[in-house]
Amino acid sequence: MNNNNMVVMATAAERVFHWMFAISCLLLTLTGFAFLFKNASIAGVFGGFESMKSIHNWLGIVFIISLLMSSAKWLKHPLRFDADDIRWMAVAGGYLSHKVKVPPMGKLNTGQKISYVGVLLSGILLTASGFVLWFFPELKTWFLLSFIAHNLSFLFICIFIPMHIYLGTIGNPGTFQIMTSGRISYKRAKNHYPKWVAEMETGKKVLS
Amino acid sequence: MANRKAILISPELCTGCRACQVACKAWNQLPAEKTKFSGNFASPADLSSNTLNKVRFVEAPSEDKPLRWLFVSQRCMHCEDAGCMKICPVPGAIYRTKDGAVATDPDKCIGCKLCSAACPFDVPRYGKDGKLSKCTMCADRTENSMPPACTKTCPTGALTFGDSKELIAKAKRAGYTKVYGENDLGGLGAMYAFKDAPLLYGMKENPKVPEMVVFWHKYLKPLSLISIGGVAAATLLHYAFVGPHKDKEGDDE
Repeated sequence: MNNNNMVVMATAAERVFHWMFAISCLLLTLTGFAFLFKNASIAGVFGGFESMKSIHNWLGIVFIISLLMSSAKWLKHPLRFDADDIRWMAVAGGYLSHKVKVPPMGKLNTGQKISYVGVLLSGILLTASGFVLWFFPELKTWFLLSFIAHNLSFLFICIFIPMHIYLGTIGNPGTFQIMTSGRISYKRAKNHYPKWVAEMETGKKVLS
Repeated sequence: MANRKAILISPELCTGCRACQVACKAWNQLPAEKTKFSGNFASPADLSSNTLNKVRFVEAPSEDKPLRWLFVSQRCMHCEDAGCMKICPVPGAIYRTKDGAVATDPDKCIGCKLCSAACPFDVPRYGKDGKLSKCTMCADRTENSMPPACTKTCPTGALTFGDSKELIAKAKRAGYTKVYGENDLGGLGAMYAFKDAPLLYGMKENPKVPEMVVFWHKYLKPLSLISIGGVAAATLLHYAFVGPHKDKEGDDE
């Protein structure tokens, strides 16, 4: 394959589910903060607190559907962990210094795998606890426990959002297009995702 | 609140006539409820969105007093440290009146029912519309210098309304060494002059806002904002001092 050929890194379905998830997650975070800090200005944008509650609840449905749909495609990556992942963690993925040698990675690097599992677990916990908060207020203890679980798992999202936005844009130039056009050059793929490219080529699979 | 108003409840003076319940329904225009006798004279048996106060009937016989019947008027306790106000996500849905009472604005309530989980006294009830309905210490009366309907109507002096400190002093002069609610939850707006242990009257000792609510309010809530802001700041610092990932030679097409 020519170095300048484009390879598919994210299919249309993957990109659609990613953006469904991203938009619902950001709106849920914004409305969640408005509830946490009783912010009437944000609530005003959503038509007041009562309609913001309905919007928050229904966005939760979009959130979990898009999370599960993308997981169906992506979960196989984080479940694979080898010696290179250990070495990656030892050098912090090269993010703290550009001088270290970073071990070769597959389609996702170790940090992406770990944070992906974190998003999936906290997303499931957020949805389950949100479900109790929405429908089962009479279960006093579970209701309060769900409230705490909802806020605890939200902490992970609070850490993930700015980190993911930074590393997916200005922190890693050239990465953002994977979630827009879905394609990168063959050369870039070989440089950044060598194990993935090798695996696809030996398996005679289409690069996607 | 330095000079809050309160209701002092003296079960020893209560005759269980339930005029307070009638006065509450009359002033707040709440309908009567169909009740069933279930072995206890309390009627209705529990608070509801239409029953904001009630008299609890406790049979407490002992060796020296084989017949002892306690009448305990109950309602929202108007805590100074109010769990419901801490957890409520809507500004103004539950608010503090200038007299120190915990009042509600049903138009602002979104019916999330979190206040029910944060109340140490199991007070919040919700109407058919899902909105909070509870005693407001007759905020619409006290604003106009009138006492709450239940205290106005009480014929025996079992319910008195006034400055919290004066009511405590009065109870102590009358020989009560402790007043329930003097210091509980930062001071309650509904206090009791009990002759015996509060438990006997159906009130818990040392009421507290659930620990999970305090933990959430003190730590979890600020931590979420600190996390998202802190990580955002850290990414900018990373960009400035470490710099973005550098592409290898000829990476781009």
